[in-house]
Amino acid sequence: MTGLLSGEISSVAEFLAHALEMEAESVERYRELAENMEVHNNSEVAVLFHRLAAEGDAHAEHVKRRAGMYKLPSIAPWDFKWTSPDAPESVAMGDVHYLMSRRQALELALHNEIRGQDFYTQVAESSLSAEVQCIAKEMAGEEGAHVTMLREWLAKEADKLQLPLADLDPPNMPE
Amino acid sequence: MSTAAVKAKEYKSGIKPIWCPGCGHFAVLAAITRALAYLELRKEEVALISGIGCSSRLPAYVDSYGFHGLHGRALPLATGLKVARPDLTVLVAGGDGDGFSIGGNHFLHACRRNIDLTYIAMDNRVYGMTKGQASPTTAPDWSHSKMTPHGTGVRRFQPAAIALAAGATFIARGYSGDPKELTRMLVDAIRHPGFSFLHVLSPCLTFRPEQRGWKEEVHAFTAEASDEPVAAARRLHADDGMGLGVVYTEQLPLWPPRHERTASLATLEKELLV
Repeated sequence: MTGLLSGEISSVAEFLAHALEMEAESVERYRELAENMEVHNNSEVAVLFHRLAAEGDAHAEHVKRRAGMYKLPSIAPWDFKWTSPDAPESVAMGDVHYLMSRRQALELALHNEIRGQDFYTQVAESSLSAEVQCIAKEMAGEEGAHVTMLREWLAKEADKLQLPLADLDPPNMPE
Repeated sequence: MSTAAVKAKEYKSGIKPIWCPGCGHFAVLAAITRALAYLELRKEEVALISGIGCSSRLPAYVDSYGFHGLHGRALPLATGLKVARPDLTVLVAGGDGDGFSIGGNHFLHACRRNIDLTYIAMDNRVYGMTKGQASPTTAPDWSHSKMTPHGTGVRRFQPAAIALAAGATFIARGYSGDPKELTRMLVDAIRHPGFSFLHVLSPCLTFRPEQRGWKEEVHAFTAEASDEPVAAARRLHADDGMGLGVVYTEQLPLWPPRHERTASLATLEKELLV
């Protein structure tokens, strides 16, 4: 497990502000990627990213309901306590390609869900607040369920015949 | 419950970007919307001006005032707007071809005037929209275009060093692969009173797939930003072009200066009568 946390998260409100940002950014990114894949005619991967966004919506809504009870701190975008450039659960924009396959997209999603789980686990292990430890452990468990789900999807994908996507009019013509 | 009064995604328009998946410009768009949200600027307080090119599509994707102008002419357009509407926060977006080739002269004079604009130059060292030709920041030996089978043989334009020499008062370099720091730099650039130049390394994975490796090449500048042009010049001279951070920041008088009116409009009109 790589170090995803740059400092202790000491209160439930601070933790929920992080969780809310992480879940919302992940959903927004999946949706953005889905729309982008539609523009570039990779409908299979677009459908998958839309589905992942919908799955993420449910989790983000759950975190939002929970956060409703607290006054969350305002955190500058660069002050969130994850070490990754984006939130740990977000697909890095540079990691996708318009010809990517469903399997590649699922592997990427799995990678990010594991990072989300690791982030919550590291919060639980490092926070001195028993309340934060408890809620972070619980959310790591929820991410664990997503990881299991994605592994099942990937196993099913492995049985399918994967034809490499081709572009008959490629944009790049390296001489 | 609130993490910010205005949400970043509220600054995104309903128009879907047509950039290639993996393009660095997505992160620049995200950094802009996050910076605007952080600064709590209302949509009607912001104008985004661009020229032509992939990166110049950006104003369409932001829900604020916007103008998609002519090739290389974003800076004069933005200058006119800022002079007419000094209350607006004016951001200028464009690429290396648009800004440093056809728009190169405007770049020099915008730096020199020190008008209160933020210029975000997304540099992928290629003309992407026209399918991959060498731009002013392309290495002289890059030969992957039919237009330049042996490379251009021309030394690279050095945007940050030229901005410094031309008189820009805020110069920074960011990387689309580090959106957190890019957002911080953008906030600093917008807050800077004067011409702020943000040079963003933003890979084009379609025509320059090797730029995927930039994440291994970028590095933070070791020293803090300087307000001494000579110190900043030395740092840029020693840099390999991949250093990230604020290089130079200084506060100088803004353009246009405020003068006492020397004649009334009626007097001037009378003088012009034939």
